[in-house]
Amino acid sequence: MRIVLAATAVLALLGTAACSAASPRREAPVPVLPDGATSAPAPAAPDTSCNPRASLRPSGALPAPGALPAGSRMAEIRRSGHLVLGTSQDAVLFSSRNPLTGRIEGFDVDMGREIAKAIFGDPEKLQIKVVPRSERANWVRDGKVDLVISTMTANCARWKEVDFSTTYYVSGQRVLVAKDSIVKSIDDLDRQTVCAAAGSTSLDNIAKQPGKPIAVAKPTFGECLVAFQQNEVVAVSTDDTILAGLAAQDPYAKVVGPPFTVEPYAIAISKKHPDLTRFVNQVLDRARADGTWAAIYYKWLAGKPPTPPAAQYR
Amino acid sequence: MTTAMAQRSATGVPPRMSALHRWGQLRQTSPGRLQIILVMLLVLSILTGLVAGLTTSSAASGTGDLRDRAQPLLIEAETIYTALTDADTTAAQAFLAGGLEPARLTQQYESRIAQATTALTSAARRTPEGSDAAKAVEELARGTARYAALVATARAVNRQGLPVGASYMASASQLNRETLQPQAKDLLQFAQREVTGGYQDARSPWWLMLLLVLITALVFALIAAQRYLSRTTRRTFNVPLVAATGLTAVLVVAGWLVFTNQRGHLSSAEADGSAPIAALAGIRGTILRERADEALTLVARAGRGPYEEDFDRISQSISFADPALDDVEGLMEQARDQHGLFVDRHREIRALDDGGDYDAAVELAVRADTASAFQVLTTTVDDAMKDRKAVFETDIRSAGWGLTALTVLGPLLALAIAALAAIGLRPRLEEYR
Repeated sequence: MRIVLAATAVLALLGTAACSAASPRREAPVPVLPDGATSAPAPAAPDTSCNPRASLRPSGALPAPGALPAGSRMAEIRRSGHLVLGTSQDAVLFSSRNPLTGRIEGFDVDMGREIAKAIFGDPEKLQIKVVPRSERANWVRDGKVDLVISTMTANCARWKEVDFSTTYYVSGQRVLVAKDSIVKSIDDLDRQTVCAAAGSTSLDNIAKQPGKPIAVAKPTFGECLVAFQQNEVVAVSTDDTILAGLAAQDPYAKVVGPPFTVEPYAIAISKKHPDLTRFVNQVLDRARADGTWAAIYYKWLAGKPPTPPAAQYR
Repeated sequence: MTTAMAQRSATGVPPRMSALHRWGQLRQTSPGRLQIILVMLLVLSILTGLVAGLTTSSAASGTGDLRDRAQPLLIEAETIYTALTDADTTAAQAFLAGGLEPARLTQQYESRIAQATTALTSAARRTPEGSDAAKAVEELARGTARYAALVATARAVNRQGLPVGASYMASASQLNRETLQPQAKDLLQFAQREVTGGYQDARSPWWLMLLLVLITALVFALIAAQRYLSRTTRRTFNVPLVAATGLTAVLVVAGWLVFTNQRGHLSSAEADGSAPIAALAGIRGTILRERADEALTLVARAGRGPYEEDFDRISQSISFADPALDDVEGLMEQARDQHGLFVDRHREIRALDDGGDYDAAVELAVRADTASAFQVLTTTVDDAMKDRKAVFETDIRSAGWGLTALTVLGPLLALAIAALAAIGLRPRLEEYR
């Protein structure tokens, strides 16, 4: 299964790499970024009023866990005893419940552990809460969680409700169909049922396709796979990362087509705590630089880790 | 007056009024009067016999319907509801436990599904064909089969270590909570209405009132006939008529005994059986839902959520001091204490989870002593339920006492009364030939 996972993940990434530049149906123009480092295609959401990848610039060096600035949000969290992480339990490889141990684990959870380590010096000081996808921004805003790391796409609409860290992973939406299906991409799914999790950008993207596939919402992507296996829906469409996790569990499923969106994943943090966002960006910068990001990538997605997405700041 | 009218109209419209005319004429002569008395006694006693048969058979069938159909249907509907709720809770706990499903939970789940399907099979027999209840039973049977299939898939997938097993469990649970449980609740309400209606039918006063009127009329007629005979003949007593009066008295006494008994036992079956059973069913439903809420809050792993709010609401509304439960007061006091302990344990679990120690909260929730704390509570409620079911059974059987016998005996007695009336009056009529 490890091999299948690795292969699918690699394929998924190759797909992203090969097609992100050539995809003919990208709706939004590619914005020219101020720093000119990398071009970032805007998400498929109509709101293109911002650069969703550009986050708050940190100042100075990352403070040691014992020397957090007094009165900062980080110091408050340290006092409370644990970092409350909002995530999902159904995005296999990113954050899902291990059926054998009952623990939630994956790429996203390990990112959270890095932040806990930076605050407490102990990655175990993490309290995981499972956030319904449709509630992610609300829970961050209402302070029910300190941050959300949950394959969450940073886009301009969400930037209005919460702050995002710099991008820690870039994914794209593709399609999962049955192994013997003749469907080659989302364009071949005219008026057919396609499942995505309620409250995800994937669900909105399905309905926006010119072929007008019928979007079917389920509470989680795992339940989309159930619906697919029970022949309730023809396909599941979401980020290739999540699809790879689903396909790894079903030998009769395959992921097809070029990615038709670009999904920059970032960590959502309350607008009330810009100091925490800057701090998280410092932690991400360190993880990119010292090989931690690559190690986490290798641990969950296998294969040779690519260069981590570069940080962009306002 | 009547005679005058009859005579007047007899001249005007002879064919239509001739019966009345002859009736008037009959009253003028002694044999005529005897004939009238005989006919009246025969008619009254035969009517009494007929109505006595109908009254008792309607009461017997009402009591029988209550005993053999309505109340068992209610108990089956309650079993279906609690079995489905508990199956869902058990599945949620097995999921929480992680890894391989504990054997204890597998057995509990299997026995709950078996209970639900058995109860559905017999409930199907007790619901009128084509009714909403019959449809609900059909849908429940289909839904339960689908639910069991989803859980079986979840287990098989879980066994392979695939996370989608949890999603199968979530889909199954959603089917159970959002479709099956509301349907089972509808069926439960239907059955409750059937029981209420059953008591009304079994006690229907109309036949009995008619019987009372007829029997009173018969008694008066017998007495009047005997007084007339003792006035117009030399014999003070007409032995067959005295015997007929005696038989009527026997009929009155037998009817009085049987119906007083039926009503008394119906009242106690309702007050000491059906009412406490309904109250206990409510309590059992509530505590099972509390346990389900606890497990589902932990499964959602989202901290305090809608299920926890539901827990707070229903655990405050639960009452072990319902007046209907006075007869099982001791057991209810025990249940209240046990429920208190269960809620205390729940608070500990919540404190752990809200304090950030999810793993410890789960461990405490699925620990054997937490399970047994809940088990003793349900056992106490089950014991009270068994006790009240036994009382209902006894009372409803006693309520049927004598009804079948009277259904046969009533008409036979009435026939005998009619025959005796004929035997008593015939020789007097012969005297005029």
